[in-house]
Amino acid sequence: MTLTFAGRLQTRLFLFLFIGLPITCLYGFAVSGWQWDWRVIQVFVWFLCTITGFGLLLDPVYIFLQSTRWDRDWPFAYQFFFSWVEFGVVFFVARAGLVPYLPEVAFQGSRGLGIATLHFTLVFVPSFLALLGPLQAIFIRWRFKGGQFGKL
Amino acid sequence: MIPFPVRFRVRQIGIDGHTIGPSRILLCEDPGVFLIGKSEDADVPLSGDAVSRRHMSLLMTDDEVRVRDESSTNGTYVNGTRVDEVVLSAGDQISIPGWLLELLGPAKNAASATRIGGVEVDESLVSRLIMTDDDAAPSSPLSSSRRTFPGAEFDGKDVVGVEALRASGHPVDEVRFCAVGGGLGSFIWVDHLRCYGIAANDIKAIGTEGVCYQTYKRYCKNSQIPDHERLRSNSLSRPDNIWGFPGYALREVGKGISVKGVFQVFGEPTLSESYTPRAGDVFDSLDKEAARISWPEMFVKAQVLGLRKTSDGRYAVAYKLWGGEASGQERNRYVIADVVHLSTGYPATRFVDDFQTFITNHPDARAQVANAYEPHDQMYIEAERRDGPVQVVVRGRGIVASRIIQRLFEARKKNPNIRILHSMRTPINARGGAVFRMARRLVRNNVEIQPFNWPKSCWGGDLRVEYEDADEEQRGIMLTQLGGTTTAERSDWIGIVDRGTEEGWYRPVYGNISDLAPLPAQGANQPAGVQVSIDTVEGNAEKLNADYLVDCTGLIADIRRSPFLADMLDTYHLRRNHTYRMKDGTAIQGGPTGLHCTNDFEIEGLRNNTGRVYAAGAITTGGPYLAVDSFLGLQYSALRSVDHLATERHHKVRNLGPFRSLGGWTKWMVGAQP
Repeated sequence: MTLTFAGRLQTRLFLFLFIGLPITCLYGFAVSGWQWDWRVIQVFVWFLCTITGFGLLLDPVYIFLQSTRWDRDWPFAYQFFFSWVEFGVVFFVARAGLVPYLPEVAFQGSRGLGIATLHFTLVFVPSFLALLGPLQAIFIRWRFKGGQFGKL
Repeated sequence: MIPFPVRFRVRQIGIDGHTIGPSRILLCEDPGVFLIGKSEDADVPLSGDAVSRRHMSLLMTDDEVRVRDESSTNGTYVNGTRVDEVVLSAGDQISIPGWLLELLGPAKNAASATRIGGVEVDESLVSRLIMTDDDAAPSSPLSSSRRTFPGAEFDGKDVVGVEALRASGHPVDEVRFCAVGGGLGSFIWVDHLRCYGIAANDIKAIGTEGVCYQTYKRYCKNSQIPDHERLRSNSLSRPDNIWGFPGYALREVGKGISVKGVFQVFGEPTLSESYTPRAGDVFDSLDKEAARISWPEMFVKAQVLGLRKTSDGRYAVAYKLWGGEASGQERNRYVIADVVHLSTGYPATRFVDDFQTFITNHPDARAQVANAYEPHDQMYIEAERRDGPVQVVVRGRGIVASRIIQRLFEARKKNPNIRILHSMRTPINARGGAVFRMARRLVRNNVEIQPFNWPKSCWGGDLRVEYEDADEEQRGIMLTQLGGTTTAERSDWIGIVDRGTEEGWYRPVYGNISDLAPLPAQGANQPAGVQVSIDTVEGNAEKLNADYLVDCTGLIADIRRSPFLADMLDTYHLRRNHTYRMKDGTAIQGGPTGLHCTNDFEIEGLRNNTGRVYAAGAITTGGPYLAVDSFLGLQYSALRSVDHLATERHHKVRNLGPFRSLGGWTKWMVGAQP
């Protein structure tokens, strides 16, 4: 991938809105026993928002790292790896109770880890696959605009 | 149809392009196949610098006269276009290095057939093929073909009237979109138009090669990339799919070939070698897309001779049909189009100067030297057969040199006495790669490494945006900084050099080649060779006695060498791009390169009311995009120009938004017509 700074932000927000959020709501719905319990669902929503926000903060860092690479690109493998780094950091910070709006009790023990990991896996896999090409089928100019949407 | 005897006027051409001495007449009395070349057993022996032993054949039947190139080294050209095989009509000019053959019209009567320019040929001397003197005034090679068509209608005019063209008696066709070139650039542009919803009968594509990838395939084959070898291209750079998804790596999985490519794409270029598709797979996929978009219905096999603005805001394209049923003047036609796309590819190319000088001065040593882009399989076959040492100098350090070294490595399996001397101008140490701001290009074995011919972000990353936004001078500087000769990081290539260095059959030589001289054969044990003199970087003069020299320094494209483009440049005073070089911190303008065009690839100088002309490919070098002659670059320029048409709304091209895009892509996936 050869993302530009604006492209990174736009693609991240797009995937968050159109893939991450719907899947998160569905996942929360399932976890709360297939009934709409916003107190449960909101934990997942805020958790995903935090990961996305953290990612947006890291995007300038990624862009800097890209600019030190001759091809100024970002291998898919890096995207894969750093997505999980973003998840890991937010998870452990939340588990330590450092995120005021995320109840730390939800992230304790292997059960907490399991639920959060499954949540992120379900969001990450389709988002990552979308980056590998399907987005191009819908947004034909996206690949030439470094991840930005709109006209060339 | 031209009745026998078929007559050619033969002229010898000097280096300056003018004729030497009186022209002569070649007379073919009967049907048959006649070989022309330097070989003694050729039917028409022509001496000369760069004439191959078997250069070309003239094929005469009662119905038609054809010329066929016999895989000659320097090619056979008809009216300025390189050909493999083509039907000729009266007035056509065949050129091979040093010679010009013009097919003359039928003689007025049988008695005058052997009387040419007032010289009567003695009947007893008339054999199947004879050469006789001809006292016709010599003319410059190109002017005589322009005299006939589209001379009267086009010459000296920059705007022509459609009525005048109709009155000329030549067939005149009308179409909305016309793609000139017929190669990959034209195909990709037409593919975009079709996927944007334009009907096939609104489009005409004109070119001299029946298959859109013919020229590309020829260059691949010559530079030793047969169909099963891999190209230097990305998985998602699919010339047969305007969306680029699914890529070639995924296609290989689908066809059950290999899943390795998908993992390569995941890790490339840092954790794994970059994936590249097989040449044959690319050609197969293009065949499939050509059938899907009805390319054969839109394509006309013809040579484009000229383009003019018309007085009603369109363009007249003059072309001459190649093959088919039409003959004589019937073959000369016009098509009037609202929008024209120019993608004529590399015009007649030339070699680097010292190489060109050598082949000009020592035609006898032609078999010992080759440019990597010309056919030279014979060298490997001879080297493999020879029972003894063979020394080959490979010059240059690009991707082609890598492939040639690999080919020589393969030849070593048959003749383990092949040695490779790799001639490079300077050594490059591990920290000596090109620098662009904070980044430095990787170096392996004194060769700079890059997955593709430009840094990846030039195609769709921040460098594309930055380059497009830059002014002409800044673009020139960026081009210098980011360009340069590179090869791909392939473990097999690195392994060959490492092993050759260790075993002593590969040696790099650093310095400028100062002279090339032929080494005549001395008996059976010492066949002819070439002596390569090098001023080494240490200041020594090294003389390498080699059997062969393969020059991998590439070809020089010069758009003025295309008579079609030269005529347009002169008629409309079109702007050109230029090279730039840095001197003492300032950019100095160098020679002209491609045609100047806007960021939408429009040639502004040809704008005609609502009529538009766009360009793509090698002829736009130095323009708004760096990688213009790559698959993805051709797709980019096609997308820009078709999007521009959609934005301007003059030509009923509808925008391709997300829903229509997804719909079009779905049709592609299921193989339905767009």
